[in-house]
Amino acid sequence: MNTFIPPFDFHRVIVSPWTADLASYGWIMLMGFFVATACGLVGNYLMLRRMALVGDAISHSVLPGLVIAYLLAGTRHSTVMFLGALVAGVLTTVLIEVIHKKSRVKQDAAIGITFSSLFAIGVILVSQFASKIDLDQECVLYGEIGSIPLDMPYVQLGSLVLGPPTLVRMAVVALIVAALILIFYKELLVSSFDPGLAFALGINATFVHYSLMSMLSVVVVSAFESVGAILVIAMLILPGATASLLSRRLPVIFLFTVVHAALSSVMGVHFALWLDCSIAGAMVVMGTALFVLAWIFSPTQGLLRRWFSRTQVEPGETALQHGEQRAVS
Amino acid sequence: MKPSWRIQFALCALILAMPSAANAAKISELGDTNLVTQAIRFFTFQDPAVRYALLGSMLLGITCGLLGSFIVVRKMALVGDALSHAVLPGVAIGFLWNMSKDPVAIFVGATVAGLLGTVVVRLITQTTHLKEDTALGLVLASFFAVGICLLTMIQRMPTGNKSGIDKFLFGQAASIGPADLKLMAVVTLLSVVVIIVFYKEFLLTSFDSGFARAAGFPAQLIHYALMLLLAFAVVIALQAVGVVLVSAMLITPAAAAYLLTDRMSRMLWLAALFGMMAGALGAFCSFLGPNFPTGPFMVLSASAVFALAFLFAPRHGVANRWWRQRSRAQRVQRENTLKSIYHVLEARESKGEGVSLRELAERRRETVEEAARQAADLHRHELATLHEEGNLIFLTPAGWQLACAIVRNHRLWELYLTNAAQIAADHVHEDAEKIEHVLGDEVVRELERRLQYATIDPHGRPIPGFAEMQRGGNSPDQPGESIGYGKR
Amino acid sequence: MSTVESSTSTKSAASEPAPLEIHDLTVSYHNKPVLWGIDLVVPRGKLIGIIGPNGAGKSTLIKAAMGLLPLNSGWVKAFGEPLKQNLTRIGYVPQRESVDWDFPVSVMDVVLMGRYGRLGLIKRPTKQDRDIARECLDKVKMLPYANRQISNLSGGQQQRVFLARALAQESDLYFMDEPFAGVDAATEAAIVTLLQELKSKGKTLMVVHHDLPSAREYFDMLLLLNMRVVAFGPTEQVFNAELLQKTYGGRLTILSEVAEAVRQKS
Repeated sequence: MNTFIPPFDFHRVIVSPWTADLASYGWIMLMGFFVATACGLVGNYLMLRRMALVGDAISHSVLPGLVIAYLLAGTRHSTVMFLGALVAGVLTTVLIEVIHKKSRVKQDAAIGITFSSLFAIGVILVSQFASKIDLDQECVLYGEIGSIPLDMPYVQLGSLVLGPPTLVRMAVVALIVAALILIFYKELLVSSFDPGLAFALGINATFVHYSLMSMLSVVVVSAFESVGAILVIAMLILPGATASLLSRRLPVIFLFTVVHAALSSVMGVHFALWLDCSIAGAMVVMGTALFVLAWIFSPTQGLLRRWFSRTQVEPGETALQHGEQRAVS
Repeated sequence: MKPSWRIQFALCALILAMPSAANAAKISELGDTNLVTQAIRFFTFQDPAVRYALLGSMLLGITCGLLGSFIVVRKMALVGDALSHAVLPGVAIGFLWNMSKDPVAIFVGATVAGLLGTVVVRLITQTTHLKEDTALGLVLASFFAVGICLLTMIQRMPTGNKSGIDKFLFGQAASIGPADLKLMAVVTLLSVVVIIVFYKEFLLTSFDSGFARAAGFPAQLIHYALMLLLAFAVVIALQAVGVVLVSAMLITPAAAAYLLTDRMSRMLWLAALFGMMAGALGAFCSFLGPNFPTGPFMVLSASAVFALAFLFAPRHGVANRWWRQRSRAQRVQRENTLKSIYHVLEARESKGEGVSLRELAERRRETVEEAARQAADLHRHELATLHEEGNLIFLTPAGWQLACAIVRNHRLWELYLTNAAQIAADHVHEDAEKIEHVLGDEVVRELERRLQYATIDPHGRPIPGFAEMQRGGNSPDQPGESIGYGKR
Repeated sequence: MSTVESSTSTKSAASEPAPLEIHDLTVSYHNKPVLWGIDLVVPRGKLIGIIGPNGAGKSTLIKAAMGLLPLNSGWVKAFGEPLKQNLTRIGYVPQRESVDWDFPVSVMDVVLMGRYGRLGLIKRPTKQDRDIARECLDKVKMLPYANRQISNLSGGQQQRVFLARALAQESDLYFMDEPFAGVDAATEAAIVTLLQELKSKGKTLMVVHHDLPSAREYFDMLLLLNMRVVAFGPTEQVFNAELLQKTYGGRLTILSEVAEAVRQKS
């Protein structure tokens, strides 16, 4: 077991990434932060719209989009990749709609069928052309955020070194997402909260829907290489879910989302250094830990508070053992 | 929508065809490059090496299909997805137990982790305002991340690298050994027995859990029993299908079966069959190439079955529905043409003659070509005969009868709306235009009775009665029968 | 929170204990009370309507009474014993929307489910159960549809199937959650006849209802509910403007409805 869990070396785990190795770990932490921020911001809207699992679906199905775009165009230029992912993302939502609307298969099953088929196609393509695409099966699942600093040549603006190209691209995506959310805050809010009202106000709900899906596809594809298909889901959901346990006001939720993104990426790097495991995985594990903390200690609906408020109301004798708590009408 | 399906279809076909073309030469050590002979060798269990793989794949297909049916009808498909991702840390811990791929340890670890995942989902939805989809996504990704961390830690260890534990991600049917197969057989048997014995309970709680609990059934317990079996199914499927795609083996065959039948028992049979087929086909495909993961091929086989069911299911299929819609539209079109011919004849107030294409076209405000097409359609259905090089239309008795019936339906309905519903006479035409094609005989009789067998519609035109209908067509071939339009 | 009027007034005269006795029942959802301090003794052989505004806890009351929801306080007794021991004597008609009508079962399968409670675990329905189910289907005039898949039914037909299932339970106390919601006039009349018939056989029926004017017609007794029991008693005593206004609060639309109902009565 000693080799499995390495001893906790304070200097190596906590100090070195901020001092000697800042040049590499700094980039990784920044990357984690941008990925989690961009995903978390979009994810908030997915959760508001009860579409968290459509995010799940899209994060899987951008894979064949990426691979096919690459195989067709023969280049890894980011425009091509974005385009492939965009097509795959929109195709996914359309397929889900078609299966759900044109047959009696329910939406949940439609989501499951669609993304698993597309992902399967992607995996088979990767397994066949792995050497060509420089993307192996494991990377598809949990990414290679650790190789960010090796991504040469760094982007420079004059004499100012901005960072590895992947990181710069992610940062730009995150900024654009934040800007779009700021600009269209009102429209997104109304159409998420009350599509009927949005329609009455002249907001095209379908347009907003597909814009959001496109935004999601772009975010997912730029995060894909770093964190892989499945951990992206965590990045989409964890920050927003944690934040919404702490506040019920959307602007505050956004703030907490960003804080969560920063904390989980920094803590994740330390955690991965200690246990010597996948950095992206460690970031998600830390994000989960933060979620659990919020779940327990949230001032409004934490488990602790629930527990205390339950002991205040005197517990009556229950006539029957309780079952699942169904919606009380 | 249809083009996108075609694209996916083409892709499926391409991918299913690709390995055989590109890699056939690599596998066959006997020099047998023919796909058919390979398939025969594979599916007749001649190769001891593939025997385990094939049997195991079929068993897991059966189990997944059976249990998947219940999660599909319970609308819990994505619970299956969350559960299947959540088993990963369990797999890793089961492996750590004695640093080997001990099937029992991994089985226990994965089952516990999967169940824990579903319990956490329920806890989150019960104690916070987070919705179920969010909770599912959370559990799915968090558990998976823990699993990934453990997995990467195992792989860094000296023994870990050769463990083959990475095969659990995408599945490799070839890695199924005799011990695995035994476990699979036990689980399959268990699932079949439990489903047979508790079929009634599963059916009732799936359909109406409130009623089930009111009738004294432990719905909660049955729910967790199902979750336990589901976890078993996921775990035995892991080796061959992989963590990532195993949920598809639960959902897709069952959803295909759901489209094909209206009875739960038949759905279970079909889902098991589809699952078995997908398993066998997927295993076969993965044996064709050296580096082929089994899971994706199984999933694609299952998706192909689903796509076929989606398109061609006898009652719920898209193709069938489209066909029904089309034939209905054509019938409506024919009936409208007949109605126009009736109107032309009625306006003429003269003896029965043919209606020319030009008259028909004018009446319907269409081109002559369009009218000719419609006339040809009537002719095809033996509702009219064409004369003078197709320029003159005569109705057959059947055509005449149908024309009268449509006009009668239209006018009866207009009268009914103005009388009974007190809608102004100039507002009823649009509604009658639609209803005239769908009124059944019984309704017509009821309408006639209620309207006291009225003969004049709200616009003052006669409603064709029974005698009028029996008068026969206006065909010159039946001279005695072909007269009398416009006569009151 | 005002005084509870005329509740629990009717004591059952028969020697058998009351079909339903509820004491100090409180149910809350997310720490917000939905029902508060409900006391109720329901006499045998009555057709009882539960009425109240939206969110008054009508459905919650019958769910809690059947033990489908955890109680914060209080207890429920059926026929003088704890609920659990008399579950087979209780029949239930849930809201029609509570199930998925695309579910792959036939009309017959659904009605047979009414027999499951008596069968208990594992045992399969026998020929006798099928005969009973068929009889019940015939009573609601749905026998010709026995082999149809349930999605091919109209709203009224679906409700009849649910009633047939409840009949197949052969219970003594029935809870029905809005059986009249969204059904055609013919079905509504059929249901009323059926309820009267059941009552004449000594069954007790508690029916959640949302239409005030017809409530006066259909039911022997009314339970006016708004989180608490506002009133419970014979329809002619309870159905008056004052109590209805108390139940429905001062909301205008409801008020006019009440006024209309009272006007019709006089």
